[in-house]
Amino acid sequence: MTRARKPQQPLEWYRDPDGRGVDARLHVLDRQMIDTDGVPVSTVDDLELDGVEIGESIDHSRPPQVSEILVGAAILPRIFGGHVPRSRWDRIPWEDVTRLATVVELRVHADDLDATWVERWFRDRVIARIPGGRHAPE
Amino acid sequence: MKKIFAVALGILTAIGGFVDIGDLVTNAVVGSKFGLGLAWVVVIGVAGICLYADMAGRVAAVSGRATFEIIRERLGPRTGLANLAASFLINLLTLTAEIGGVALALQLAAGVGPGMWIPVALFAVWVVIWRTKFSIMENVAGLLGLTLLVFVVALFLLKPDWGHLITPAVQPWLPASESPVSYWYFAVALFGAAMTPYEVFFFSSGAVEEKWTKSDLATERANVFIGFPLGGILSLAIAACAALVLLPKGIEVSTLSEVVLPVAQAGGQLALAFAIVGILAATFGAALETTLSSGYTLAQFFGWSWGKFRRPAQAARFHISMIICLVIGGGILATGVDPIQVTELSVVFSAVALPLTYFPILVVANDPEYMGDEVNGRIRNGFGMVFLLIIVIAAVAAIPLLLASGMGSA
Repeated sequence: MTRARKPQQPLEWYRDPDGRGVDARLHVLDRQMIDTDGVPVSTVDDLELDGVEIGESIDHSRPPQVSEILVGAAILPRIFGGHVPRSRWDRIPWEDVTRLATVVELRVHADDLDATWVERWFRDRVIARIPGGRHAPE
Repeated sequence: MKKIFAVALGILTAIGGFVDIGDLVTNAVVGSKFGLGLAWVVVIGVAGICLYADMAGRVAAVSGRATFEIIRERLGPRTGLANLAASFLINLLTLTAEIGGVALALQLAAGVGPGMWIPVALFAVWVVIWRTKFSIMENVAGLLGLTLLVFVVALFLLKPDWGHLITPAVQPWLPASESPVSYWYFAVALFGAAMTPYEVFFFSSGAVEEKWTKSDLATERANVFIGFPLGGILSLAIAACAALVLLPKGIEVSTLSEVVLPVAQAGGQLALAFAIVGILAATFGAALETTLSSGYTLAQFFGWSWGKFRRPAQAARFHISMIICLVIGGGILATGVDPIQVTELSVVFSAVALPLTYFPILVVANDPEYMGDEVNGRIRNGFGMVFLLIIVIAAVAAIPLLLASGMGSA
């Protein structure tokens, strides 16, 4: 745990032009994501940063960027520590994000995302096979 | 006119849906032991659930976010998961108790059981969740639950000496025959029964299910601030009936037959039939609500698609988790545990979990990003803090009191 330091710049410097700063932990992580139809996709479980590697020297001409939103097993290290192999990461590209509000809005359909395979697996293998599973409740 | 009808329907279902197996059993037990000596707890508990259900409903109506999405977002994944585990397990315990209550009510009606009724109850709950629209489910269970008003009727038919009945309610400090440890144990249990966390999960998720917006806030307030207190009067009537019939004879409440005994004595078979229908509707309605709540909490924590307004195939993991919860609840009952004891445990552990549910709601109800200009005012926050304090005290005291009083038998 490092001690909080005083900000190096005036507070306004950290904010976007609307005067509202974006805090990754407060405004992005653990927020609900919804697709273009308003269907819940997942919670933002973690973020992947591009352009910075542990132990490598920093290239200041290319600052790190948020490249992907991680979902699924990516939540485990945040709860229990340790790490999950990269092959197990379910990613949603940051390019698909259209708006940050009280939910994170995506421009795609939930069903078109690779990251939502678990939902599709349970739907196709179990729920859709039970009579009435594909019908709206009456 | 349509609006008035909707509001009236909402209030009626809120009354009928307020009482569940926890309220039925705990109020009858308390009435048979202390008379109305713990009526003040019901009053505080109802005030608390009104305050926080209104907050959760307002957050859901204004921001469209249900309670557990907020809990995860505000507490982070680690504390959020601990909270989920506690809330989910207690909800599962309550679900088990409600299914047991349905089986016991069917046993009262049919004279056989309750073991054979458990699979029937489980299947019925699942079919309703699988195929019935949210509003129909809510209204039918709530309106049939109104037959519990027979407890109020029975109270008048018993022609009590009102002064004698009310005295312990207005002077609760007068020594009761039971030990003080047991008195405070039942105070916490009654508080847990009135403020059960699933009611908040269900109320806020229900607001999302019914697509409430800011314009529905008047309906929401009417449901909460008129419906819930009237439901609380039902709770008090159950306790008062037990105080009149069971307390003088020293009858202990160990099954549902003792709960309905005063009604049968006051109004005969017809009144008994009403009471059984009421208990069946109340426990069945609460079984639906707790089952849905288990799905809601999991789906909202992990961000799955959820809701009865979707086809089951469009909320696959939500429906799978509810089916699994029903199977687990049935499995617990199949071991032959007494549903009444499960109920008594569930209300005490509900009291333990209360702060986990209510604290994040208070925080978000103050967040302008979610609430816009509908944030809590000073009065709401003042009451919110006072009740949070009471909730924390009850939660901390619950387990020591449970052990010290030997589940109230000491």
